[in-house]
Amino acid sequence: MKDKKKGHNTKVSTSGGVLSPSKLLLSHLICGIGLASSFWLAINVYSINLIDNPAETLRLVWLIEVPVVILIYSLFRKDKNQSSYLKAVARGLLGLPIGAIINALGAIALGAPIGTHYFQRTLNWSLLMSAFTFVPAACVYGSSWVDWQHTFVHTKLIGIIDYMICLPAHGAVIGAWFGAWPMPLDWERTWQEWPICVTYGAILGYLVGMLGSICFAVFRVSHQHRKGD
Amino acid sequence: MASLTCTNFTLLTAAAILLQIAGLSLFVFGFFPIKPALSGVSGPESFHPSSCDSIEVQNFTALHPDQLKSLYQELSEIPPSYDRLILMVIDGLPAEFVIGRDDQPPSKIYKDAMPYTQSLLANKMALGYHAKAAPPTVTLPRLKAMTTGSIGGFLDVLFNFNTQALLEDNIIGQFFRIGWKMVMLGDETWLKLFPGLFTRHDGVSSFFVKDTVQVDNNVSRHLSYELYKNDWNLLILHYLGLDHVGHLGGRTSTLMGPKLKEMDEVIKLIHSSIIQNHKQTLLVVVSDHGMQENGNHGGSSYEETDSLALFIGPKHSHVSVSPTDVVTINQVDIAPTLSLLFGVPIPKNNAGYLITDLFHPLQDHELLRAMELNSLQLLKLLEAQTTHSTCKSLYLDAISLHKSWKMKNDLRSATNDEFTNTVFAYNEFLKTASQQLSHTATDKPMGLLAIGVTTMLLSCIIFLFLLFKLIQETYQNLKIQLSEAFIAIIIIILVLSMGSSSLVEEEQYLWHFMTSSFFLISLHKTFKSKSMNKIKTPILISIIIISGRVLRGWHQGGVNWTHLPDISKSLENSSSFYIKLLQILSVFVILILCFCTLSSLKSYVVISIMGSYFCVGLLVLNYVMKYQGDGDNDNDGILAAQMIYGLIVGLTSVMVVGSPWIISFYLKDLVLKIKDCLYLSGIAYVFGWCFLQLLLQKPVNSMPISLLLVQILATIFCGSDRGSDFKQWVEIGAIYYLGMAGHFSLGNTNTLATIDVAGAFIGISTHSTVLSGLIMFVITYASPMLSLLSMVMLISMKDINPNLKNMGQLLKTILGFPCLVPLGLNSVLLVAYTIILLLMRNHLFIWTVFSPKYIYVVVTTVCVLVGVLIVASTVTYIVSVVFLLRHRFYKHSTS
Repeated sequence: MKDKKKGHNTKVSTSGGVLSPSKLLLSHLICGIGLASSFWLAINVYSINLIDNPAETLRLVWLIEVPVVILIYSLFRKDKNQSSYLKAVARGLLGLPIGAIINALGAIALGAPIGTHYFQRTLNWSLLMSAFTFVPAACVYGSSWVDWQHTFVHTKLIGIIDYMICLPAHGAVIGAWFGAWPMPLDWERTWQEWPICVTYGAILGYLVGMLGSICFAVFRVSHQHRKGD
Repeated sequence: MASLTCTNFTLLTAAAILLQIAGLSLFVFGFFPIKPALSGVSGPESFHPSSCDSIEVQNFTALHPDQLKSLYQELSEIPPSYDRLILMVIDGLPAEFVIGRDDQPPSKIYKDAMPYTQSLLANKMALGYHAKAAPPTVTLPRLKAMTTGSIGGFLDVLFNFNTQALLEDNIIGQFFRIGWKMVMLGDETWLKLFPGLFTRHDGVSSFFVKDTVQVDNNVSRHLSYELYKNDWNLLILHYLGLDHVGHLGGRTSTLMGPKLKEMDEVIKLIHSSIIQNHKQTLLVVVSDHGMQENGNHGGSSYEETDSLALFIGPKHSHVSVSPTDVVTINQVDIAPTLSLLFGVPIPKNNAGYLITDLFHPLQDHELLRAMELNSLQLLKLLEAQTTHSTCKSLYLDAISLHKSWKMKNDLRSATNDEFTNTVFAYNEFLKTASQQLSHTATDKPMGLLAIGVTTMLLSCIIFLFLLFKLIQETYQNLKIQLSEAFIAIIIIILVLSMGSSSLVEEEQYLWHFMTSSFFLISLHKTFKSKSMNKIKTPILISIIIISGRVLRGWHQGGVNWTHLPDISKSLENSSSFYIKLLQILSVFVILILCFCTLSSLKSYVVISIMGSYFCVGLLVLNYVMKYQGDGDNDNDGILAAQMIYGLIVGLTSVMVVGSPWIISFYLKDLVLKIKDCLYLSGIAYVFGWCFLQLLLQKPVNSMPISLLLVQILATIFCGSDRGSDFKQWVEIGAIYYLGMAGHFSLGNTNTLATIDVAGAFIGISTHSTVLSGLIMFVITYASPMLSLLSMVMLISMKDINPNLKNMGQLLKTILGFPCLVPLGLNSVLLVAYTIILLLMRNHLFIWTVFSPKYIYVVVTTVCVLVGVLIVASTVTYIVSVVFLLRHRFYKHSTS
């Protein structure tokens, strides 16, 4: 599900994020561990799983993932000299519902079912998708429209931080898009229901995106080193 | 690279279109052989050779069933051997399980599972046959074959759409006409085939394949009652359980043994009841088809076609056939055998021939008479189907032998040899004729199909080549953007999805998903612009996306999830007030859109056109309020509908034909003139079509029509934006996809069941197949046709290079994409689906899923061809008239 990212201001940020591949690896690792531990908690502590209780499981996952993402990405905010860490955290929290609305609208436009029965599922799914896509960008870029446009519209990536945001977000969206494919097949499996396979696709795409961004970052740094020599 | 001239371009396109039509016709006639089936039913005339038509038997339908029965008996000269028939169908039972294969007795497991049946066979109380079934080996066509004796073509479905009832002459109908009381227990397919013929029935659904127990208990629970009841002449039992066992676990399933045992118990119960109570009963145990090792069926392998025919009656004791003798017959032979045994005429289209073993208890002259009757019927059918008849001489031989035998028999001087010779001669004819008749129905001429596919492929390549060439000529910058690539990706994904039967059934999800994805990508692209003041395009795209989502929710569609709630269902369940309200709303939405689009033309003529459309709108509204949903066709309603037809057709043709003459008066600039004329004609087509649809579509579909119009107009306006980076071919592709997605939003599916037959009779006073077929086409293809007709309007909104003074060059620039994009996209889909159909020809769902879809694909091709023809001829007409007028004007001014 391709989603549109939209800001309000056209201020150009002055300082690019300075980030080493090892830091990126570490932060991705923490995000990944957050995701894995939330699923572990769901299954072993609350004894719920995505297939039987999609809404509850998704709620648990985003409740754990969102703080992790916000706390980590706020460290790498682009306008460090203008806004404090706390301000970046607040931006992330503000970005969460906005991103959720955009993701939900995108999903509904592509055919996600509407109705009271599906409301909880769509709500929790879109909050999780927002944590994958919108929240990191909100923490890092804030209201800088140019940065948003660079990353999400033109996909012209400058710093490592751009890779760190762009690739997992696109991965999650494209993964979710492909995740919807098995839904019309007549296999009569529970996981074909909205939004279970879409979530699987999104998580898979997110992980692939994280992996890709690490590779890009390592490649870029080694390239620059060679250039420097 | 040298660019193609307009003439070459047109010639190549026309050649490709002709190739496509030729290839398609070759393929369709090769794949769906049209068998000239005889209509009507056999009556008393079937007992006479065709030469001597007696007048007295003309009006046999007026006879009382009992009179008819005795008339038949008198004419047939064969005393009926039985007076009751029990037809037990065991779905999917391979004959191998009961009578073995290739002189080998059945394997021990199966033999032990059916002890009673095996003992009947061993005691010569029963005659077992391998009844070879013709593909497709699925239940419905097999039941038709067993009851009509003919091997149906798929296209008969088209000729009796709307009803699943079997219209061809069949033995069940024949029994009904002689006043038989019939009882049916089991698969509800029988009830669909023969509605109203059964006195009592209990249909079970074959939908729950996982149920192997209840489905058969539901049949057997009535059995003891019916056997006790004794008031029927025909009892049909159709057990589905064995087929379900096969689908679950294949031939070697552990459930197979117990299931066979259960069937054996049923046979035992029936047979002992026959012996006790009613000796003149024939029990026929048949299976409709066999199954593969894994339990699937539908194709033409030995395992699937090896079905059973087992005749259990009290009269076989002196049959000469030894139980180990395995005899193979055809499934179609069951129909004539039963007809002759029970003294009814053989169904007209029967291609089978009687099983002589069953007639052995009869006297010699009666057996010969039975063979003669069968020969007469087959000969009549042969004469109707083929001109060349090598069989005719065989028939004459048999007849003359029969005649001489008869004469000698009267003088009691006939020898046994002469009798054997006559039987042999008849058999020879029957066998040859039957073979000839079956082969015309089942053989697929692979050569013909290959030529058809190749021709279509060639035309597809030409279309794509021309399209590519045109893109190359038009755009210097060949950098592919995501939204452009996506148009191609949609087609590739659709082609790939067609191989899966469930994606064919649920195609509507795919179209909607892909179209919405495309527009979301386009929306994403609009954020590329630096300035935020260009707000028009994102808003228009958002409108398209939202309308698309509403349209998707309108009809659930498909096959597997039709029961889920959707807007149309909730509207139909609520009061009709809301539907009427939506109808009024959509009339006004379309009227307002019409006025808005017209008002941009600065001419006084526009006001009168607006007035006319207002009248049309009011008339449609009046019709909708007053006559729609009445059911009965009263004269006022027909007249009102005809008036609207006339008005719409008249208005549209006046606007299209007259536009260059009206508009040229006040405009000097050539390009502007052409654009305005095209704009006016485009409006005429689009709105004329929409008002027609408001009249014809089901009431609940009026809103989707206006939403579709909104989508298409929004796309056109998006592309008309001067700064828009929507390339023209992308825009046309998008409109084509919108049309296809809309096709499903109007409630259409890939099954033939959703065709709105009721609407096809609006405004028609006399029954006319051509007219109602045309209206049915208009209703079903409302949305693709609308998208094609909107091309005229789209052309008028594009910038035309004013330097093109040559008419050919101008035509090529403005007509190239609007014609080639739909043709190219459709031809890709057509070729891909044709190849898939060919590959799937032995698939289980070939006749239920893939073939109906193919019919839709073929008609879509017709729709695209017609649409493109309309667009091309309109544009050519307008451009040439404008050029002509200018020429004349110059002449005037110079002279």
